[in-house]
Amino acid sequence: MEYIIGFGHVCQPYHPEMGNMLQYKLLSSNIRKNLAMRAGDRSCVAVTAIFWLTSAVFCQAEDFFQNKATFQTDFDRVLAPLIAGRCLDCHAGLDPKAGFDFSRRAAAFQGGENGPALQAGKPEESLIWQYIESDEMPPAHPLPAEEKQIFKQWIQAGAPWGTDPIDAFSKTTNKRGGYDWWSLQPLGETTVPHAPDQQTHRNPVDAFVRARLQEHGLQSQPRADRRTLIRRLFYSVIGLPPEPEEVEAFVNDRAPDAYEKLVDRLLASPHYGEHWARHWLDVVRFGESNGFERDQPRLNAWPYRNWVIQALNQDIPYDQFVRMQLAGDLLEPANPQAVIATGFLVAGPHDVVIPDSKDMRETMRQDELEDKIGVVSQTFLGLTVNCARCHDHKFDPISQQEYYQIAAALAGVEHGERDLPDPEYARAQQQLAESGRQLCELQAALFALESQARQRVMAGRTTSDKMDVPVSASSLIAAWDFQKSTQDLVGGLKSTLHGSARQNEQGLQLDGNGAFLQTEPLSQNLKEKTLEAWVKLSNLDQRGGGVMSVQTRDGNLFDAIVFGEQQPGHWLAGSNHFSRTKSFQGTPEQEAVEKEVQLVIVYHADGKIAAYRNGAPYGTAYQSSRIQSFSSGKTEVLFGLRHGSPGGNRLLKGIISKARLYDRALTPEEIEASAKWEGMFFSEEELTAVLTQSEQDSRQSLREERQRLQSEIKDLQTIQPTKVYAALSRNPGVSHLLRRGSVSAPAGIVKPGGLNAIKGVSGDLELAADSPDRDRRIKFANWVTDTQNPLFARVIVNRVWHYHFGQGLVNTPNDFGFNGGRCSHPELLDWLAVELIRNRWSLKSLHRLILMSATFQQSSEPNPDAMKVDADNQWLWRKSPQRVEAESIRDSILKVSGQLNSEIGGHGYQDVKSYFFKGTQFYEPLDPVGKEFNRRSIYRFSARGGRHPLLETFDCPDPSTTTPDRASTTTPLQALSLMNTSFVLRMSDLLAERVTQRAGSESQSQVTELFLLAFQRRPLPQEALMAREFLEQHGLPALCRVILNSNEFLYVN
Amino acid sequence: MTFPLYQNSNSRFANDSEQMSRRDFFSWAQTGLAGTALLDLLLKQKPLCAAAPVKTPQTATHFPPRVKRVIHVCLIGGLSHLDSFDYKPALKKLHGKIMPTEKKPETFFGQVGLLRKNDFEFQQRGKSGLWISELFPHIATQADELTLIRSMKAESANHTPATFQENTGFRLNGFPVLGAWLSYGLGCETDELPSFVVLPDVRGYPAAGTINWSNGFLPALHQGVPFQSEGPAIRDLFPGRKISNSTEVASRQLLNQFNQDHLERTGANSDLVARIRSHELAAKMQMAVPRVTDLSGETAATKALYGFDSEVTAPFARNCLLARRLLEQGVRFVQLFSGGPFGSPRINWDGHEDVKRNHLREAARIDQPVAGLLKDLRQRGMLDDTLVLFSTEFGRTPFTQSASDKVGTGRDHNMNGFSVWMAGGGLKHGISYGATDEFGWKSVEQPVAWHDYHATVLQLLGIDHTRLTYYHNGIERRLTNVHGEVIHDILA
Repeated sequence: MEYIIGFGHVCQPYHPEMGNMLQYKLLSSNIRKNLAMRAGDRSCVAVTAIFWLTSAVFCQAEDFFQNKATFQTDFDRVLAPLIAGRCLDCHAGLDPKAGFDFSRRAAAFQGGENGPALQAGKPEESLIWQYIESDEMPPAHPLPAEEKQIFKQWIQAGAPWGTDPIDAFSKTTNKRGGYDWWSLQPLGETTVPHAPDQQTHRNPVDAFVRARLQEHGLQSQPRADRRTLIRRLFYSVIGLPPEPEEVEAFVNDRAPDAYEKLVDRLLASPHYGEHWARHWLDVVRFGESNGFERDQPRLNAWPYRNWVIQALNQDIPYDQFVRMQLAGDLLEPANPQAVIATGFLVAGPHDVVIPDSKDMRETMRQDELEDKIGVVSQTFLGLTVNCARCHDHKFDPISQQEYYQIAAALAGVEHGERDLPDPEYARAQQQLAESGRQLCELQAALFALESQARQRVMAGRTTSDKMDVPVSASSLIAAWDFQKSTQDLVGGLKSTLHGSARQNEQGLQLDGNGAFLQTEPLSQNLKEKTLEAWVKLSNLDQRGGGVMSVQTRDGNLFDAIVFGEQQPGHWLAGSNHFSRTKSFQGTPEQEAVEKEVQLVIVYHADGKIAAYRNGAPYGTAYQSSRIQSFSSGKTEVLFGLRHGSPGGNRLLKGIISKARLYDRALTPEEIEASAKWEGMFFSEEELTAVLTQSEQDSRQSLREERQRLQSEIKDLQTIQPTKVYAALSRNPGVSHLLRRGSVSAPAGIVKPGGLNAIKGVSGDLELAADSPDRDRRIKFANWVTDTQNPLFARVIVNRVWHYHFGQGLVNTPNDFGFNGGRCSHPELLDWLAVELIRNRWSLKSLHRLILMSATFQQSSEPNPDAMKVDADNQWLWRKSPQRVEAESIRDSILKVSGQLNSEIGGHGYQDVKSYFFKGTQFYEPLDPVGKEFNRRSIYRFSARGGRHPLLETFDCPDPSTTTPDRASTTTPLQALSLMNTSFVLRMSDLLAERVTQRAGSESQSQVTELFLLAFQRRPLPQEALMAREFLEQHGLPALCRVILNSNEFLYVN
Repeated sequence: MTFPLYQNSNSRFANDSEQMSRRDFFSWAQTGLAGTALLDLLLKQKPLCAAAPVKTPQTATHFPPRVKRVIHVCLIGGLSHLDSFDYKPALKKLHGKIMPTEKKPETFFGQVGLLRKNDFEFQQRGKSGLWISELFPHIATQADELTLIRSMKAESANHTPATFQENTGFRLNGFPVLGAWLSYGLGCETDELPSFVVLPDVRGYPAAGTINWSNGFLPALHQGVPFQSEGPAIRDLFPGRKISNSTEVASRQLLNQFNQDHLERTGANSDLVARIRSHELAAKMQMAVPRVTDLSGETAATKALYGFDSEVTAPFARNCLLARRLLEQGVRFVQLFSGGPFGSPRINWDGHEDVKRNHLREAARIDQPVAGLLKDLRQRGMLDDTLVLFSTEFGRTPFTQSASDKVGTGRDHNMNGFSVWMAGGGLKHGISYGATDEFGWKSVEQPVAWHDYHATVLQLLGIDHTRLTYYHNGIERRLTNVHGEVIHDILA
């Protein structure tokens, strides 16, 4: 009895004490039968529970706590499992019920809300005993007498404690799985059982299956006929039906390896990747829109789908396939495919409607993380870690702490589009930096030359102070004298007047009603900078208008001189959501209505922002979070509009007479001088007149060189990287455990990590709480994909099996925990897992093993006797018939009609009318006609709010939720859809054309051809007769429609 | 057990001794389906779902149901409880004052203006004396039918997550809505119509579109079927192009023959039988849908009762009347949406700018139709075993969404307290349950979470909310997650 401690050991046939099949058979048939059942079936749990408790209470209760020397072992061996099994579900963790934590010695003695719980030596005075004795605890499940007795004896003996604290997860109980849970145990070497029937078993898979069949008195079916086999194989591997020629060739191929050749050919087909990628996308809930309120399309999410197809076709080792999806961007940052693979991490919904409240925002983020953790842990580990967000997992040995460890490991991932690594772009960026530097030097030389000229001009002007003038023009990259024109006097930057904006001799006239001036993009990068403008306001009550702004072309990021936005009557530096700026606390403006004032805002490289008014400091300069950089080609200057599109309070009422933009921080002296000389500007004529011929020549050549550089820069800027919707990486900082999952109740700091319960891999990733995303995700990905992680291999083996047989060896492919299904063939599962690893994680080799088995090749013929024993066919006495999946139905219709556009990869097709209406993107189904729409359904643009009417009636799942196991339903709406949708009617016509093309106009041969195309067989005489009669009365397209709707077309035997 | 399917067809099945014998088939059908009526088997029961509720209502419910069917009027955008069903005289006194709170109230847009009094006057109505404002003059006449809950609280003040929670119990995408759960748990009383029908606002689908009536992880057949306001009510109800009647009939016959032959050759298979049957049901649906959507047989008095005679009320009146007709035919759950997506100008209840104007316009569209529906159901005796739900994702703030020193005209989202009502069988009528604080800001007495609300709705339908489950990725999922207390105080 000793080794039967809960399900864990029972389901783990490689346990040293269990060893091999022989020992396995020692278990009662009752237990073995229950192995294959889900925990949901409580009767089987009850059986286990009895075994467990029997083992715990193996001896008479009197034996315990009698001898001081064995107090500790008695506690650990007998009482701790009892407490764990009966009490700790409620009385442990951060928020134990009634404040009573029974997992720690000190807390147990201290008691909870109702006072001290234990009086050593005095059961009658101990609350614990009172509750237990009166059957008040455990609620609704009073303890059996022997167990009560153990508690009593323990208290009588002085309540000695053993290992502290008691680990509630240590053993599997009748309510939950513990560390001994079967799926958490290491993979062992498995002996292939001796096959009872050497003749028919083709590979070890069969030996395992046969052994189990024999136990149940069942027999497998003989091999299916070749027509059935080829149809089955095609659908299983590539999701499409074979052509009649392929069928005939296979049927007539007498070579002993005819089937094997076919398996290899199909696995090598690029359609294999398409079909199996569809399965994968179900599991990772890949959708191409955000979901939630807006449901905006993700137009660059499709590369992930193609990556999956390609990766499967190339048979990338499964562990690498997964590492790329978890951390490809960090493992191989220069590899575009690796970046695309992280589309997995952001395949789910994402809410972009952001509330003002921080708690609400944080809750949304935690909700999203929970969804992500659910998909990551279920997909790769078959564990529902997401269930441990608010409390320890109710069924599996996963603590709330571990949930937050994994949350921390994934916290650096954010949704969004990113640039794909592109060597050409990288080169261009390098070149840009170099050209930019050259341009700077050139500007300096030019500036020095022109400074001399300005000095000379000033010498000729009649001004009182000639000494301090020219410096003010230093580093000017654009200058406007609006009283003359809207022209940029320095670089010739073109600009456009918008709305009622006008230029006249007073300057740029802005009426606050849609009027503003906008320049073309700047040809240089801007970081450190100075904005300067002379402005007169129409009134002082106005709020929020922008005088002069530098903004990204989308209007989202900007730095600006703004009047009265945050503080009425005050000048401010504006920035997107005041993210970098605050009030200067300057004096309220009082003069700017009567006469114009000079406003200057200086942005220092270190983030300091200072303002000046009429040459004097305005308020107090402050340090902002950081300086915003604006890149060339993507940045423009605005006058009269704060940023973005005209509207709200963004527009200024007033007149701007002059403005200057510098690419450095001007000094206070320079600003004072500029104020004094009103941004003195020198015309070309004036400057030329005072330069010598040689000076003019060198100036000319400098300017030509500048022009060359500028145009080079412009060209380089056109080289842009490709965008993809994939994981954005940021360093998330420190994560906290959240009590009850509530963002307003953070508890301790949590380090990024994995799970502790999986044997063979340590969940301690040795990461600091604030480690960068790079370290977190790479280590986490390595932990998940570790060869020693038994779940990682078991789960994928089961998935592959599941799709080939319609039912997994564990029939809950996303859940290998206590609530999931029991494994029907645990030895087979582990043998396949070990084989997979041995074959360097080659999924194709796994497919091959399965497909080459007699188990896969057997007939689907029902056997009434076997039906009685095993109607669900969990022991695999036949190959269960399967309904073709939604996408394959559509693809097959296209294929038999000769319309399938078999282009692999690429952008995909969109068969919805996508329109934006009042804040939401809607997707209305269409039935567009054209070759580009006749591609396999996996290439369909899949918005969450845009499901396909035909596909969804055939159980194509909601892309918002992970679907490890599609339903297969039958409904009248499905019948209506397939009979009536214009797509099927159109394809019926085209199928008729194809049939005629291939078979001529004689109705008998048409019928035969149609059957061969759709069913891979000739019609039976009776069928031929009926079909022909129908055809002659109603036409071939009508017959084709009937065939496309028939059960035979939709099912695979 | 009878098999009309085979009796009606000219199947050679019964005489074919080469294949599985008829007796074998019967015996298989009985063991294989464990007593479930074969003809009702439309859903392939994987071994997993073996514990799923059986589909016939008599055996499905955990206790005797008080109601058989549900109409849900779902208000999109957030109805101001303060201006409709939750009378707060204090707001009148404190109009223009700061709401006294320890810390600044958290709101969606972050602007907390001064308190504002209700824009619609309240009166006590009917024998029950329920306070209802003049925003809903017609519904107010039905006060004695209503079971008001004035202490609702939501977990999100963001429209779509809050709407998801109102309908699925969860804030995220991907969970089944109430209608889908009921379809799964109770099935349909008719074969000829879908069990869960959605009647969207004529102005547009709500934000997030079809996600609002998703089956989530339940099988697809349980998702809501949105009726189209133009053309046939259901997509693909009829062939996409004209096909002659004789061809159509012959096609079905031939298809049936092929399928029967196929079934014989491949042996008994519940899926195949169900598919054969599904074509019969499809044909029935083609008759039933046009019949149920044809309102021409309704009397002028009935139409007037719902408000067909006014342009403003006619669209929602049509949906309300259609809902009644669908329920009469055995549809389980009809959901009517009042309101579309959130952009400006608004076409829903999201009164950020001006609650009075917004609500006046929206209420005018639905007040008479909803009241008419209640009266009509009562007159026909249907209200005794029908449940009418009237709810919104959250309420609105007692202070305005404006500068902190202003009384604005709009109110922000309020997840802390709001009102919904139910009517129909099994409820105490003309009562109110729970209460918000004196400002209507937070639920303070007998707060009701959506899980409690859902548990109560299921209870009325005879379902123990802890036992209507569907295994999905590790959990026997429930509409009520791991929460939910039935509000026994409102049950009759």
